[in-house]
Parts: sequence; C-alpha cells; structure tokens
Amino acid sequence: MNSNEAAGNRRKRFDRLVTVFHADMFRYAAWLCRDKSIAEDVVQEALLRAWKSLDALREDAAAKQWLLTIVRRENARYFERRRLETVDIDNLTASQSALLAEVPNEELNDLREAIFELDDDYREPLVLQVLMGYSTNEIAAMMELNQGAVLTRLHRARSKLKSLTANEVNS
Amino acid sequence: MSQAKEMNCEEYRHALTAEPGFKDESRHADDCVECRGYSAGILALDADIARAMKISVPELRMPELPNVDVVSFPARRFLSRPVWFGLAATVLLAAMVGLRLMGPGMDETAGTLEEQVLAHVDHEPDALLPSSTPVTDRRLADAVPGNIATMNRDIGLITFAAFCKINGQDVPHLVVQGERGPITILLMPYEKVAAATPLNGVNIHGVILPVGDGSIAIIGDREESLEDVQQNILHSVVWGT
Repeated sequence: MNSNEAAGNRRKRFDRLVTVFHADMFRYAAWLCRDKSIAEDVVQEALLRAWKSLDALREDAAAKQWLLTIVRRENARYFERRRLETVDIDNLTASQSALLAEVPNEELNDLREAIFELDDDYREPLVLQVLMGYSTNEIAAMMELNQGAVLTRLHRARSKLKSLTANEVNS
Repeated sequence: MSQAKEMNCEEYRHALTAEPGFKDESRHADDCVECRGYSAGILALDADIARAMKISVPELRMPELPNVDVVSFPARRFLSRPVWFGLAATVLLAAMVGLRLMGPGMDETAGTLEEQVLAHVDHEPDALLPSSTPVTDRRLADAVPGNIATMNRDIGLITFAAFCKINGQDVPHLVVQGERGPITILLMPYEKVAAATPLNGVNIHGVILPVGDGSIAIIGDREESLEDVQQNILHSVVWGT
C-alpha cells in the first residue's frame, strides 16, 4: 500500500468513527460544560486532537470511550484556558438557555433544569451511565475514581434529581 | 445446570445501579416488594433522565484536518532550562530519598509508593534524554520478561528499557517519547493500589494506575498530556503468570 492509499484509508476510518460518535461527543460535551456553543468548540478541538492521534487507537471497538476521553480532556483544557465562572442558573446566556428549553415539554424541561443544576461531580457520571451506557467500573476508569466513589456520586445525583424535581412540582 | 447467586436487598440495589441493563438472574425482585418498587422507580427515573439528556445535535462541522504522516512518532523536543532545573531538583530529591532508604534502621519499604516512584524517575539519568532511537526488541524483552508482563510496542516510541527495583520487587522501567519529552513508565505487578493515585513532582506529574493485582506508574513533564499514553499502556500490557 502506498502512502497516498494509507492516508486515504486513515481519513476514511476517521470519517466513519466521527459519523458514528459525533452525537455522543456533542451531548457529552454539552452536559459537561452546560453550554451548546462551548460544546461545539470543545468537540472541534477534540476532533482535531483525535485526528492527530488516531494511530494510537488500536481497535475501533474502543473508539467511543477513546473519543469521550478526548472530549473530557478538551473540556478541561477549555475551562483552564478561560477560567470561566460557575454557571448561575438565574443568569444564563442564550446558548446555555438553549440547552434547557429546546423541546416544548414541561416535564422534561424541569428534569433537564435539575440535571443542569447538579454539581459537575454528580452530573458527569450520570451522563456516562444513563446516556452513554457505561458501567460504574468503566466510569471509574474514565474519571480516575474508584467504583465506590462512582456509586456514591450516582446515588447522590439521583437523590438530588428526585428532590429537585419534587420541589419543582410542589412550587 | 448453573444457578444464579442469591442476592440480598443491598446486593440487588448495588447491582441495579452499577450496571446499565442489569439482569436480575437471581430473581430477587420477584420475592421482594420493596426492591421491585425501588427498581421500577430507578428505571423510570433513568428513562426520563436519558430523554432529558438527549438534546438535539447540530450538524457536524469537521475542523480543517492537517496532513499527518501515516507512520509518525511524536516530535522530538529538547527540554527547556526550567525543566532541566526541575529535573536536577528531582535528582537531588531522589538522592535524598536514596540515602534515607540506605540509612541505618530503615528498610527498603521506607517512603510511600508515590515517593519511591517519583524518586525512581531519575534513577537512570540517561533515560531522560530526548531521543528518537528505539530500544532493540531484545533489550525490551530483557527488561520486560514474560513472567512479569507481556506487552507490544504500541505504547509509543520506547527509547529506554531496564530492570529496576521498587519495594524490593523487580520492576520494568521504560521510557517513551511524549510531546514534551521523555515519559517514564514503571510496570509494578506487585504493587496494588486501590485507585488511580496522582503524582506531583518538581515540573513533572503523573499517575499510578491500578491494573489487576498490580499497578503502572506513568510520569512526564508537567505540561505533558498523559491520557493517550495511559490508554495505550492499559491496552498494551498484560501481567504475566
């Protein structure tokens, strides 16, 4: 195989992976940073980095976790660079609000707002388990925690969501 | 005929929340009204959470992708003066820890595993020179014998391989070239750690990762991103028997 063919195959492989996992990458980024515009930037940076280090990915079966790990790191880099303030739910930007109110479904929007208000430490494992389908062992590896810590955070996240949504209903 | 292990309420709830798509093969919830209710509540809540999280996704904007050599190694960079000062300080620290370890009344397990790993980084000064010359297969095989671990060369450009001691146990010591300079890897099949343990030295950082019954330490320049290296190593190394 000559170098042009090899380069073409590499690009095809990358395009295929991105097509399959772009939605997961974006949603993960959006729930990490709670801002759709920033999530797009983070995904762009992650795609660039994934392209450069694609040869490090040995098996496509591991691509989803590999890409999400890159998104996680790029999100951290983004916030390190900009030193953004904590999001105040009563004072959201347009792109932050867009995350909360994109579907005209009152019940879901309440829950989405409750998820939005969770601490990062609780929201992230919940996204990885409920949306991405990872086990607590896998989440522990991704977040560099032990499994017990992940279980505790998931339990607290669900408890907070229950109480936050109950408060919404009561008010 | 296989029989599913019986579960109590605590085990059942633990398994339910630990694994997505958990199958209750013990059929615990059949006989436990409380757990059946708990399970229904969790599954309903998770279904709602998943629906709430499935936000619309904008059209993919592919960034401009630079040309990449199909077979490429990380760029070779020489260390800046502050990094050399940092390494020198680490060597001094290593020497102090070494003297402590050899001192009267002190056994070889003195110092935490993190301290010993950080001290050991500079145990082989030649290993920390930026290099683009890979070690030979034979040298790599000598440093990583099959009874300790098997590994392939996909972890990166391996420029140093030796056999060292941590806590009196044989430890393969490797160096791969990263984006910011050499990255030290210590394969420690006998050092079990409960969770990933961060390492912070002078201008260097790293982590000790739990891997099976042992652990692997990875240390590089403070600015070095180690996650790709970690993933490669975790995929490449299998402990021997």
